[in-house]
Amino acid sequence: MNGRLRVLPLLAIRNVRRQARRSLLTASAMALGVAVLVFSRTLADGGHEDWIESGVRLGSGHVAFQAPRFRATSNIEDRLTASAAATAQEALGVPGVAEHVRNVAPRLEVQGLANSPTAAVPVAIVGVNPDLEATFSELADRVVEGRYLQAGDRLHAYVGTRLADRLDLEVGSRLVLTAQDARDEIAGQFVRVVGIFRSGLPVADERLVHIPIGTAQSWLGVGADVTTVAVLLESGWVVPDVLQRLHDVLAGTSENLVVLGWQEAMPQLDAAIKVDDLGNYIFNFILYAIIILAIVNTVLMSVMYRTREFGLLRALGLTKRQTAALVFGEGVFLTAVSGVIGMVLGFGFTWVFFRNGLDFSFMLDNDFTFSGVVLEPVIVPAFRLVQVVRSLATIAFVGVLASLYPAYRATRIDLAEAMKFEA
Amino acid sequence: MTKQRMPAVKTADVWKVFEHDGLAVEAVRGVSLDIEPGEFVVLAGPSGSGKTTLLNLLGGLTRPTRGGVWIDGRDLTSMSERELAKLRLERVGFVFQAYNLLPVLTALENAEFSLLLRGIPPDERRRRVEELFAVIGMTGLEDRRPAKLSGGEQQRVAVARAVVGKPALVLADEPTANLDSAASDALLGVMADLNRERGTTFVFATHDTRLMERAKRLIRLVDGAIESDDVRQDMGG
Repeated sequence: MNGRLRVLPLLAIRNVRRQARRSLLTASAMALGVAVLVFSRTLADGGHEDWIESGVRLGSGHVAFQAPRFRATSNIEDRLTASAAATAQEALGVPGVAEHVRNVAPRLEVQGLANSPTAAVPVAIVGVNPDLEATFSELADRVVEGRYLQAGDRLHAYVGTRLADRLDLEVGSRLVLTAQDARDEIAGQFVRVVGIFRSGLPVADERLVHIPIGTAQSWLGVGADVTTVAVLLESGWVVPDVLQRLHDVLAGTSENLVVLGWQEAMPQLDAAIKVDDLGNYIFNFILYAIIILAIVNTVLMSVMYRTREFGLLRALGLTKRQTAALVFGEGVFLTAVSGVIGMVLGFGFTWVFFRNGLDFSFMLDNDFTFSGVVLEPVIVPAFRLVQVVRSLATIAFVGVLASLYPAYRATRIDLAEAMKFEA
Repeated sequence: MTKQRMPAVKTADVWKVFEHDGLAVEAVRGVSLDIEPGEFVVLAGPSGSGKTTLLNLLGGLTRPTRGGVWIDGRDLTSMSERELAKLRLERVGFVFQAYNLLPVLTALENAEFSLLLRGIPPDERRRRVEELFAVIGMTGLEDRRPAKLSGGEQQRVAVARAVVGKPALVLADEPTANLDSAASDALLGVMADLNRERGTTFVFATHDTRLMERAKRLIRLVDGAIESDDVRQDMGG
């Protein structure tokens, strides 16, 4: 059997090379298709990573620790005690988590009203640590007037442009924030506008107010409690592993504490990415279907054309299965070579020309928002090992799938009839 | 002690009926024959007489509608597809009219193909093929692909491939049909030499008179049945 095992791949490779022009044309089409797939996949992954990054920086991070009911109620009663927050910080220090943590920001978030002499607007008031938040949230980079909060600030507020317009505020203006405090009473707090931002996200620009966390804790009477410990990780790809590890670590804790992934905290963004992925998968499916048809066409044509030859091989002692294996091998070889070339082309092309990003600014205005995030006009492709592995696995699957029918057809050749066939 | 001599190939009342447009066509009708090892047999007859079909039956390329076929005493009709393939590989050599060689293999690779399939070591394969190539006048052409060989050279490579595995019999279907006189004579000379010197059993289907003249045994077929079966001791070689 060793001899047969050696000779079949040899024959398969030489047969592919034999119809050089046809094989080359098919391989080129396949390689181009795979290259386009790789390019679109890296771009889609990069785009999604940008969306997630933008969403989590403006929201509650890749993962967030909260009291179990807080996400549903947004009520200050459902807050993390100082001890629960400390437990969360400890959990972030365990191996398997600590190496992925980029930033941690405790926050105290309440729903309330912002009042000025001219109007009152419902807002989300977020007490933040200015130093930590400055490197966590993108808001600190979106100043259009004044500055972001700083350590040492007390009665200061950072508001969006839309809110400033509605309340007729400017840097230095005073406003009153009112919200339900820990005693279940309405409490007010004077603050002065220290900076105005423009995120591009209308809801943030109109509804979000940052104040120092110490001011918020004392105003609302919660001591050192917070409502959220927001965590920024090195990338969105590690979230499932980190979440699993944190769930394991917190499994035995008695604290009233849950850990959420960004998908739970931002279900709209999660759904948007899934919908976008679905679109990509449909596109990929169509492209792979075209590639499969190209392989089937080439290999099947080759089978029809070589009826006499297959008859000869069978006469010489090849079984039906071995004849099928030969045809199958030709299809798989053609796919493997084209697929690998396509992958190299796709990754190479994307890396050489677009590793710093593909600029879509001519299509998008600067404030294009989608599912709660501001879309960056420049998409930077994401290159990941898992893409290479997935691409290789898909190409192998496509090759196998496309070669099955021609291989089956080769087994249906009638031996005696084949020998009459004029090649 | 004498070992009982077994026919290289034997048929007993073998029939082959094809269905064609709803009609039964009897291509081979009740043929019974024994061909002994070392014979040089020609199946002759006009087109449509059943020569090729009988040859296909003898080689296990097609199954009889009824009757029996034995090679080396082994009943082909009871064999599975896989067993038939193994039998063809090890016990039968084929030489067809044309398009005999695999175009992607060199002359040497074509000739050693059956040995390769049987797992014979490379040195042994090379030795046997080179020895045969010397006998059939193909030395020096080992690395040529079929497209670079003449029709006669291609047929000689096919003969080398057919005999290199020392089969029980070699079946040749119109091997000289596409060759000119000189190439035909050379090919027939090669096969006659192999028959005489190595005892290789040859069965031909042909209407080439030159081949018939060399036959030691001439079986004439008419309408799928044996019309005559003449052993000609003086002929051949």
